[in-house]
Amino acid sequence: MTLLDVNGLSVRFSGLTALDDVSFTLMQGNVRAVIGPNGAGKSTLFNAISGYVTPTSGTVFLNGAELTQLSPHEIAEQGVRRTFQNGGLFPALTVLENVLTGLHAQTEGSFLDILLGRSAALKSEADNIHRARELLKLMSMEHMADTRAGDLSGGQQRIVEIVRTVASDPPVLLLDEPAVGLSPVARDQMMEIIRRLAGEKGVGILLIEHAVELVMAAADRILVMAAGARIAEGTPDEIREDRAVLEAYLGHA
Amino acid sequence: MSQTMPSARQRRLRTWIFWAVPVLLLLLPLATNPYTQFIANGMLVSVLVTLGFTLTIGNLGQLAFANTAFFGIGAYASAILAAKLGVPWLLTIPLAGAFGALGGFLASAAALRGIRSYYLAIITLAFGELMRWGYTHFSPLTGGTDGTPMPRETLFGISLTDDTLKFYVFLGVTVLLVKGTLNLLRSRFGRAVMAVRENEIATASLAIPTSRVILVTFMWSGFVVGCAGALFARHVGHVFPESFGMLHLIASFAMVLVGGLGSVLGSVLGAVLLTALPEYLRAFPGMEELFFGLIVAGVLVLMPMGLASLLRRLSPIFVERHYREAP
Repeated sequence: MTLLDVNGLSVRFSGLTALDDVSFTLMQGNVRAVIGPNGAGKSTLFNAISGYVTPTSGTVFLNGAELTQLSPHEIAEQGVRRTFQNGGLFPALTVLENVLTGLHAQTEGSFLDILLGRSAALKSEADNIHRARELLKLMSMEHMADTRAGDLSGGQQRIVEIVRTVASDPPVLLLDEPAVGLSPVARDQMMEIIRRLAGEKGVGILLIEHAVELVMAAADRILVMAAGARIAEGTPDEIREDRAVLEAYLGHA
Repeated sequence: MSQTMPSARQRRLRTWIFWAVPVLLLLLPLATNPYTQFIANGMLVSVLVTLGFTLTIGNLGQLAFANTAFFGIGAYASAILAAKLGVPWLLTIPLAGAFGALGGFLASAAALRGIRSYYLAIITLAFGELMRWGYTHFSPLTGGTDGTPMPRETLFGISLTDDTLKFYVFLGVTVLLVKGTLNLLRSRFGRAVMAVRENEIATASLAIPTSRVILVTFMWSGFVVGCAGALFARHVGHVFPESFGMLHLIASFAMVLVGGLGSVLGSVLGAVLLTALPEYLRAFPGMEELFFGLIVAGVLVLMPMGLASLLRRLSPIFVERHYREAP
């Protein structure tokens, strides 16, 4: 089943074409990697899909519903959630509080309910805390619940960010270099988490990653970009053999 | 570092303490003379002013200095409604809060237009000065430099010049607003407020409407400080433009910092300490400002996170954030 349908997406900043007519689809339970040299437009693609950059032309659909002109928080509420290359955790908040922010839209109770301490708001809050603790348990992070997120190691921060991002069970996940700066062990763990999210929960995952061997191992399909445009698309095996990719990205064969 | 969160037992104890303090304060008028009662009433006003300020500058992390403007708006709203339209003072308190919230709406409009950091500081300072200019120059409404006197009025058959009566009303309003603010901060809303401070871009990616969070925080802050303005109007009995200048802003900023940025408990401690301190320093004529400055500087050097951080280190009971687990 097609989750995300990206069609002819372009972004131009005063004459510069950062993203040039990129199209692809993302299926349920699939991991699609986006690779390309620095400046290829990978992050712009993510920003355009998640609403941080307004596309000049083209469309993005999730399950047939258009996302193209929505704001970042609306797109997230529709079910496309993302992580950030430089880490998007809130350092002064605890691990549990960070995960709870991922459940914001799932929490019931209006401003007035919260202000007056009405039971509807309190119950929903308690339910979410329970859920957040369960999620942390799945990642063996429950003993870290009350630790300030800023005091975690780099690898732990990446994991908490992913827990926070998937807490609301989004159908689509955009991961911007989730393994950058991680030790080999933590990297393998991260790839395992990504495979499990796609395989067991059926999440469609779009993944920017520089480590080619990881991409080849984890991705079902790969989109190769250069200078803002798509230059190849296919399975890891197909990409390995692709002439344009070898020349533009992997260097001369 | 793991933060020690209060245990279930400590949370219950904290709830008891929260309600025990105002109940014990009901007895305070037995221990005061007219002068100290007046000072105590002023403390309650300052608690609310500091609380509203710390929300925007500490929890939301916006360098906004319109707090004294909200205070003035609330005070004048109360005085004008009471003096010109004959609205009972008690009723002017929520109305003054609504006008304060309107002020908060205007201040957030600047932040939401993308004016942040030092630029937000300057534009909100200008807002405060503009309001003060307005109080002096719209004399038909505000009474100009002569100000607006509060009308004579009785409540439960007692004149509203009675400081003991005022104390009970001020205490009730303060407890309600502090409790409401704590409820907000201990919810998804409070987490969203801090998330915006920490990383606004990442906050939006979690389906949190950041603009609305900023707007609502400023408006609630304005509401709290606007209500404080209405209390202040009755406290001093006569509203003058000079009460809402830079001096008031700096004094309340000092209360925020001494108590601890972004802390409700800190707002109470900062306001109480810095209102009481000048009274004790009267024993050293000519040296008051020097000692006052030294004490404020000393607290901030020794405890950059304010008095509340000291108490948090003593016991997790004073950790304000907590999770509402299932009972």
